[in-house]
Amino acid sequence: MTMTSTNRGSKARGAALAAVVPLLLVAACSSGSGSAEGEDGEIRMMVNLTDNLNQAYWEKLVKPFEDETGLKVKIEGPTGKSVAESFPQQLAAGTAPDVIQSIFPDDDTAPELIDLGGEAWAKGTPMFDEYAMGDAHYAVGVGTQTQSLVYYNKTAFEKAGISRPPTTWDELTKDLGDLKKAGYTPMQTAGDFQTGLQLQQIYHPTLNQLHPKWQTAVADDQLSVGDAYEPAFQMYADWIKAGYIGKSDVGLSPSQADGNFTAGKVGLYTNGSWFAASLDKAGDLPFEVGVFSPPAADGQAYPGPQGATMANPYMIRKGTGDEDGAKQLVEYLVTDAEAVEAQLGSDGVFRKGAEPKRSGVDAQIQGILDDAPALVAVGEGQGNVRLPVTGFNPKFTEIAQSLYTGAGPADAAKSIDQWVDENR
Amino acid sequence: MERTSVSKPRAWRDLGARVSMVVPAVLVYVALLVVPVIYAIYYSFTEYNGFPHRVPEFVGLDNYRTMFGSDDITGTMVVTAVVAVVGAVAVNLAALGLALLLRRTNRFNTFGRVVMFYPHVLSALVVGFLWQAVLGPQGVVNTMLEKVGTDSLPFLSDPDWALWSMILVIVWSLFGVQLILYLAGLQAVPADLLEAARIDGASRWQTFRAVTWPSLASTVTVAVITSGISLLKTYDVVVSLTGGGPAGSTKTLAYSILAVSFPQRDIGLASAQAVLLIVAAAVLAITVLVLRRRAEDDAESIG
Repeated sequence: MTMTSTNRGSKARGAALAAVVPLLLVAACSSGSGSAEGEDGEIRMMVNLTDNLNQAYWEKLVKPFEDETGLKVKIEGPTGKSVAESFPQQLAAGTAPDVIQSIFPDDDTAPELIDLGGEAWAKGTPMFDEYAMGDAHYAVGVGTQTQSLVYYNKTAFEKAGISRPPTTWDELTKDLGDLKKAGYTPMQTAGDFQTGLQLQQIYHPTLNQLHPKWQTAVADDQLSVGDAYEPAFQMYADWIKAGYIGKSDVGLSPSQADGNFTAGKVGLYTNGSWFAASLDKAGDLPFEVGVFSPPAADGQAYPGPQGATMANPYMIRKGTGDEDGAKQLVEYLVTDAEAVEAQLGSDGVFRKGAEPKRSGVDAQIQGILDDAPALVAVGEGQGNVRLPVTGFNPKFTEIAQSLYTGAGPADAAKSIDQWVDENR
Repeated sequence: MERTSVSKPRAWRDLGARVSMVVPAVLVYVALLVVPVIYAIYYSFTEYNGFPHRVPEFVGLDNYRTMFGSDDITGTMVVTAVVAVVGAVAVNLAALGLALLLRRTNRFNTFGRVVMFYPHVLSALVVGFLWQAVLGPQGVVNTMLEKVGTDSLPFLSDPDWALWSMILVIVWSLFGVQLILYLAGLQAVPADLLEAARIDGASRWQTFRAVTWPSLASTVTVAVITSGISLLKTYDVVVSLTGGGPAGSTKTLAYSILAVSFPQRDIGLASAQAVLLIVAAAVLAITVLVLRRRAEDDAESIG
């Protein structure tokens, strides 16, 4: 969910600088304690509102909790572009909500949050340990969003004479060539966040086989990001050069890329589990969709580790007026069978071992999740496995895009290392 | 003596009335502009994440060193300067040219003025998305080019093309206001001078250069300063048209502040960047005013 919420979706942020900077600064100047309270018996919960996860969805989700406890839950959307942007601003302004959904703690926000590590109900929740910071657990979630999935057009594969999804990079490269010969766009990408995200997604399994917990290795100065990613840059540059990825795709919007895949023009499309919701929404497609886990590193077992994030994470702000009520609400959201069931399947939320009613694509994703030998931190990382920098994903995208505009793989590796050094 | 003693209380009353009318505006101005700017300057010398429990840590000029030492940020400064300079020239040339065409009042020109002002009514975000649909790889223009068998053009997928495309879109969205300014300025050009020039047999260009242009001096000053400052703040169109790409080639300073530094909670660096923008806007305004004053002085000395 986080990748989704921070990177895609609406871009409705557009106030002029002269207006925004003073307002942000006024907010930053505020010496509020971050203890703005709702009305008596009311718990304020900030969630990311999307087309399908709208106000009505969230109100319906918490209604049984309200009926049972008598507590009122006030659903609030972010005041800015996303919860990730709004929560720190509201913390600074002293108007932060009691419960926060869809984002994760970091070094800045962790001191403002309640450690849920001591709660018995929290311990069995998905990815609980993966998101630990030191010994503390600030976020609990409902499931997992798998990041490293490659969706493919089965009709295109048949026409290109490909009998089964690739499991090695050589096979994948050959398949891309065959798809091109068959008249398809071999691999679809787009500009904006998607260029970098896709390259990370498709390379997570290999990268984590070659350099387990690579983010920690970078933090400990045992590995550079450039060294870790240069093989991926090389491969990507080769694909661009061979025409397997359209050079002009870097000017497309992600929604146009989605549209190209659902229109049947594309062979392969790297995306996260949330794309399953878009496929469902697209209705009947002119082809059958398959999903596979990206290739493993040479000589390593397939499938490799899945890049994954905690789905529907919830956190509680320290200093909330009703800490007990907030904990009851979060416990309900992540453990109540009906609440969990309602959240599974929404925007690509999956859970190991779950068997909800699913479409064929969902079942394939569930299978990939169940078969994954490990779930690994993505991008900047999470919990105790993190890079020593923030803002990695946008910078990585910029560098991935430079491969379209003339930079070589070595230049790209050097650029990312330079940026990490500047921002450590 | 009597008259003086009677007028003193009235003078005080007048002064009090004037002050009472000015004070609210001054307070609002100070609260919403001066105080945040002072805070921005203060935070620019600190490392701070904006959270109430964190005390800003004084780091001296570190944020400024980071800003000028980072290829990333200096790149955004160059892009911002190009957008501001080229954009301001283009906006004002387009607006002045159209104002000259539409200066006479008739039905067609009235309609033309409305049409020309229309882009400014649209939200800059909408403008960006709209032009994305026109100039994108699968946009209207490239689709038509493909249909006639020509190669598509990389309006948004090549770094250079993307920058110039973005400037074009910004100019399109901005020039409406400048057009109104120039139309108003042209109304103020003395008709008798224009008539005299015509009687003297001056050509259109000579009339423009000797009569219209000098009369428009103050309008040009305002138009250049306002358009330049608007262009320095370019953010919305970047978000919706290019997202700063490809490869960061269209990232402006304002975009970097709002989309990169603030979300990373690097309030100190974001403030240093904001201070730089404020200084750039001030330098732009002062430069234009000084140039205008010098031109006026030169004209007077010749006269």
